[in-house]
Amino acid sequence: MEFTWTSEHRDLRVAVRRLMTTRAPVDRARALAADGVRHDTELWATMAEQLGLQALDVPEEHGGVGGSLVDVAVVLEEMGAVLHGGPFLSTAVLAVEVLRELAPVADAAGDLLGRIAEGGATVAVALAEDGRAWSPGTVRTTATGPTSDGAVRLTGTKQLVLDGADADLLLVLARTDAGARWCLVDGTADGVTRERQEGLDLTRPSATVRLADAPGQVLGDLDGVAVADRVRSVASVLLAAEQVGAAAEVVRRTAEHATTRRQFGRPVGSFQGVKHRLADMAVRVEMARSAAYWAAFQERGSADLELGALVARSYCSDALLQTAKDCIQLHGGIGFTWEHDAHLFLRRARLDATLLGDTRHARERLLAHTHPDLQGVS
Amino acid sequence: MSTATTTSSTGTGTGSDPGARRARALDAARAVVASHPPTSTPRRAFLEACFDAGLAWVHFPEGLGGLGAEPGVQAAVDEILQGAGGPIPFWLNPMGYGMAAPTVLDHGSAELSERLLRPLYVCDELWCQLFSEPGAGSDLAGLATRAEKVGDEWVVSGQKVWTSSAHLARWALLLARTDPDQPKHRGLTYFVLDMHGPGVEVRPLRQMTGEAEFNEVHLTEARIPDSHRLGEVGEGWRVAMTTLMNERSAIGGGSSVRGSGSIGSALRLWRSRPDLHTPELRARLVELFARADAARLTGDRFRIEQGDRPAGAEGSIGKLTGAELNQEVYEFCLDVLGPDAALYSGYGPPDETDETDETGGPGGPGGEPVEDYGRLFLRSRANTIEGGTSEVLRNILGERLLGLPGDVRVDTGKPWREVPRG
Ligand SMILES: Cc1cc2nc3c(=O)[nH]c(=O)nc-3n(C[C@H](O)[C@H](O)[C@H](O)COP(=O)(O)OP(=O)(O)OC[C@H]3O[C@@H](n4cnc5c(N)ncnc54)[C@H](O)[C@@H]3O)c2cc1C
Repeated sequence: MEFTWTSEHRDLRVAVRRLMTTRAPVDRARALAADGVRHDTELWATMAEQLGLQALDVPEEHGGVGGSLVDVAVVLEEMGAVLHGGPFLSTAVLAVEVLRELAPVADAAGDLLGRIAEGGATVAVALAEDGRAWSPGTVRTTATGPTSDGAVRLTGTKQLVLDGADADLLLVLARTDAGARWCLVDGTADGVTRERQEGLDLTRPSATVRLADAPGQVLGDLDGVAVADRVRSVASVLLAAEQVGAAAEVVRRTAEHATTRRQFGRPVGSFQGVKHRLADMAVRVEMARSAAYWAAFQERGSADLELGALVARSYCSDALLQTAKDCIQLHGGIGFTWEHDAHLFLRRARLDATLLGDTRHARERLLAHTHPDLQGVS
Repeated sequence: MSTATTTSSTGTGTGSDPGARRARALDAARAVVASHPPTSTPRRAFLEACFDAGLAWVHFPEGLGGLGAEPGVQAAVDEILQGAGGPIPFWLNPMGYGMAAPTVLDHGSAELSERLLRPLYVCDELWCQLFSEPGAGSDLAGLATRAEKVGDEWVVSGQKVWTSSAHLARWALLLARTDPDQPKHRGLTYFVLDMHGPGVEVRPLRQMTGEAEFNEVHLTEARIPDSHRLGEVGEGWRVAMTTLMNERSAIGGGSSVRGSGSIGSALRLWRSRPDLHTPELRARLVELFARADAARLTGDRFRIEQGDRPAGAEGSIGKLTGAELNQEVYEFCLDVLGPDAALYSGYGPPDETDETDETGGPGGPGGEPVEDYGRLFLRSRANTIEGGTSEVLRNILGERLLGLPGDVRVDTGKPWREVPRG
């Protein structure tokens, strides 16, 4: 049943929150970004050893915990609240989702899931190419000459690869003679050049990955576009949960500021212009939470999950963006400074809007999904 | 606000009729463009020629950058000057051109105007505005910086914040408290402060764009001659209102050229990326264009209707709509660019050697002008805060334009000293 929270959900939330707020507060994300450090490897180890977070989304037969989507959503929500930018989303969500699809037809995928579950490998998913964040059907990167053991050479350029500059391995969507396929490439192989992208979002590193006749391995004979589509649904739900966490934190901080900041001899939160805007922010967060978690409670692979993912993607991203903008506004001058965290949330929100295919695209697909008869009205 | 005092020096110069004054100003503008073609004349020489021809502020008196014409004539003059490629003076010295100049003219001595206006206009001397403090932003009148009279000088101590261009400025418009026992609006006095004098310390503050465009300014027994006071002692709030109204109309008035400013930048992007067009985006662009044009026309209309009356509450309309429009336009630009917006370089501290233009965009790889939409988007978030927040402007419009009852004030009539702050 939707929105039925168990004590396990609550315990997980408490444990993750404790870990993230003590070991990875926003200040830490800011410091890592300033130093150009990709992520906190000790934190990554603690996540695996003490909480088994990397194993949460990995099925039991591959050495994981086989947790529910709601469990993973709870983890991401807590990570969103501190703007965590480590490899969790790329490795433990995106790569795991791709590998789960491929495991039935490729032993290597199953093995890799096991390594991820132990916290032993980081894997980045390289799909987007220039100008198109998540458009598996138009991928131009090629994978040529599969030999009998699946060895290929890859050539092409991938953009916005989350954690792409540093991950141990790359899951690359490429075209073969047989159609689009997912290929595994060692991040340090010859012919792989990786460049960290200096982009809007300072706390979640992404990279441009150039492949020039790089060696790789095709993971099974499965339609790569269909896999990408299914992965997108699950990932959209989890990204939405992360956005809920970020937006809720933004509201909490803004309300706190409006309570303590005084102008005209009274707290600015006592002015209705401020109070009403904050109330709208809070309403937006509650709506986003409903959209994200309804979807997370659906059966993997079901039509309801697909529907829920589209609603969540269509709503939550804009909700975070608007909330982050309001946060700056209600802080006044201090909210426009580098030292204040408000802009880090805004930057995250803006980049999120373009991940996994942008939100406008999601809304078109939502219309097609729910009301095919209303499409094409102009 | 008393009309008699604020208009004393404007719009009365020549004795001829308004039509003749207008024709004379336009002739002068054409003559300057002919004798100093802005595209081939060094910027300073061009600005000097404009000032000396009375085209800096056409409604100012002759000899002080004006021709005694109606303020509404400025738009037509600017069209000639800027249409020929001349710079937009507001962007060169925003606090100076839009705010300091009218305040100095209206409230300073003739000697002070003579000393300050020409270097201001030709950008030998940049200006900043020392109003906001850590404890006094929206509630500007609650400010705490103290000025005390010692002999023929004022000695000033306190802290200002968010001061744009303080690190570049030679002069500052300063609002300070001269009588803490009066209710807050009545104990303020307005000064021109020499930023190069002793006791003035400027510390850069980094903005969320990465740039250090604004500053903290610490004043420790800084000294100001009494001749640099603008208006009477205790009249600082009234003088500040001239500055703020002018600031808001200057920010909000915008350019009178159709399709310029932020909407122009969106149109350039739209033209350059036909691959990214969708019907939804097209509809948004057109909607934004229509709004930008209505806002532009509103600015023009107010300027003309205002004649030689002082800027009023309507100025707040331009500031309010301009700020929100800018934000939506740059949001639109990022939506057009989609993931490409994330690929634009440099959202950290900018390379100090970059030649950035008014829109803040460094050049593209082939030297072509590429606007840095990510940075413009981030910068635009300040538009609804700087120069008065949109919340405060809506309060002003509600109360002054519509005559709605004011907010219940907890500090009315109380000596400033006794009002809690923070
Ligand atoms: C980029 C930038 C440049 C600036 N440059 C200068 C400069 O050169 N010189 C200078 O003096 N100042 C400058 N400022 C300061 C600016 O004027 C102040 O930031 C602004 O007036 C708001 O004050 P504050 O920051 O203290 O916010 P606060 O006054 O603390 O406001 C916080 C929030 O409360 C709201 N609020 C406050 N009072 C009310 C009310 N009565 N009703 C409804 N809502 C209310 C505000 O709208 C805001 O959302 C600059 C600011 C920025 C961002």
